[in-house]
Amino acid sequence: MSVNTTFGLLGCGLLGLAVVATVMPLGRLPVRVRYALMLAAALLVFVPFGELSIAACVRGVTGDLSAATLVLAGAACFTQVTARVLIGHRDKRALCWLLALAAAFLYPFALGWTPFDPYALGYGSIEFVTALLLVTFAAWWAGLDLIVFVIVAAALAYLAGAYESRNLWDTLIDPLVALYAMVRLLAAAAVSRSP
Amino acid sequence: MTAQGQRWASLVALGLAFAGLYVRVLSAPSPGGFAPAQTPARSASTAAPRYETQLLPNSTAASVHSAAAAEISGGRLRAFWYGGSREGASDVSIYTSVYSLREKNWSPERAVVTREFAQRHLRRYVRKLGNPVVGRDSKGRLCLYFVSVSVGGWAGSAVNLMVSEDEGESWSPPRRLIASPFFNISTLVKGAPLLFSDGAVGLPVYHELLGKFGELLRLDAEGHAIGKTRLSWGQSSLQPVIVPRSGKEAVGFMRYAGNPPNRILLVRTEDGGVHWSPPVKTALPNPNAAIGSVLLSGGPLLLVFNNAEEDRENLSLALSTDFGSTWRIAHRFEGDSGSTQAPVREYSYPWIMQDRTGDVHVLYTWGRSRIKHVRFNRAWLEGRR
Repeated sequence: MSVNTTFGLLGCGLLGLAVVATVMPLGRLPVRVRYALMLAAALLVFVPFGELSIAACVRGVTGDLSAATLVLAGAACFTQVTARVLIGHRDKRALCWLLALAAAFLYPFALGWTPFDPYALGYGSIEFVTALLLVTFAAWWAGLDLIVFVIVAAALAYLAGAYESRNLWDTLIDPLVALYAMVRLLAAAAVSRSP
Repeated sequence: MTAQGQRWASLVALGLAFAGLYVRVLSAPSPGGFAPAQTPARSASTAAPRYETQLLPNSTAASVHSAAAAEISGGRLRAFWYGGSREGASDVSIYTSVYSLREKNWSPERAVVTREFAQRHLRRYVRKLGNPVVGRDSKGRLCLYFVSVSVGGWAGSAVNLMVSEDEGESWSPPRRLIASPFFNISTLVKGAPLLFSDGAVGLPVYHELLGKFGELLRLDAEGHAIGKTRLSWGQSSLQPVIVPRSGKEAVGFMRYAGNPPNRILLVRTEDGGVHWSPPVKTALPNPNAAIGSVLLSGGPLLLVFNNAEEDRENLSLALSTDFGSTWRIAHRFEGDSGSTQAPVREYSYPWIMQDRTGDVHVLYTWGRSRIKHVRFNRAWLEGRR
């Protein structure tokens, strides 16, 4: 199995584990039981039934998941199992805003509605890398460590060739995490407006 | 580590990561133009006109579609197409057969990709298979690109690549090309791949999710997409076919799926595919059907297309001596009242190529039940001019 395939399957499996960990009421259980349940869930996700595992089925639909998804999924698993919060509210809200803005820039144009194709910039545009550097440095300056961590992790994964894709966008964002960010921001806005 | 120390450590990590990105971007070779085409021998115009047709073997599939072919060693062609109980069925496989230019016969077909094979090697769920196209990379290896769908209809497609170092007898496991940020879906192929002078492969692709538009992917030696250029945009153009004339100049044709009048779309580049002109309608009709095109050695430019706005019954050959500006209909392959009719009168999805002897080969879907092969020489073509 190639490095790309292994990385992709691990990412999709991690997302599956995060969903299981979030849906199940692990917080009421003893710590050892939580670990045992997560181990069982990992077996369920990664061990093939017939030809394919659940992770492979998810990957067939979603493709490889971005660093943003993997970081959030990993943090969700950690929090559910250990009851320790890894990501602060301010950090997560800033990341959601950045992901929502990036999605609004990337996806409509990538669907071919204009001659401009922002996705093509991800194959190696000095302007795109510079813009990303400015965003990352601004986040570092503002103390938004989660954004810095996600972008640096995405850049390192891109440089290491961990992804099937050679497009930097694919390591930064995917439609699932973009949807998650938008739903979270909308929900937060709805809560803040409610009396 | 103190909080201040962590902060400076993250700045160092940031600096190193971006230094790596800048090195990667700045050290990438700038795209070259199109590679010169291999020049076939120009057959003597004194040769007798020759025009031959035959149906390719099909012993199992009730429905076949979308043929592609490449010349291989030993004076042979290798063709690919997909077939099964019906288009989009889970039993659709990609078949191959070999044609001897000397003996003029096709070998029995064999399945080269099944859905189960693709699923097993791609390590992801695959629901159905679609269009294959074939070409060569800069190392001379045969490259088979084929469409697969994991979820939904053709709009949910992705493109996969298999490579053969023995002219199609055996193949590498399939690998998925990543060409779209939206779950990597809605990328399909129909036009022949081409080569760039820097060794990259140019693969014409199109997208069908919400919009319908064409792009030219650049693939590296390992088959990774490393760049792309948009050929069109909007909701009405698909299945691009690109024909280079020189290192800088090429013309592209696209199937039209918009409002009437239904015409073949044309795009041009004069800088090796970096920029393309906006698509314009040609004078040639198009019933929302695929097109095939090839520039013969020494000209003219040939186009195989359905010469009607509404149906795929009339499959014709047009030629242009001014690289696509004006056209003349040279021949009607199918649809004449005197010719043998297929049970379903659809003659579509042409693939046209020239072999090393200068003969031209056209393969197309014949009534959805067979793939038909037409072979003619330059003497026959010159008699049609």
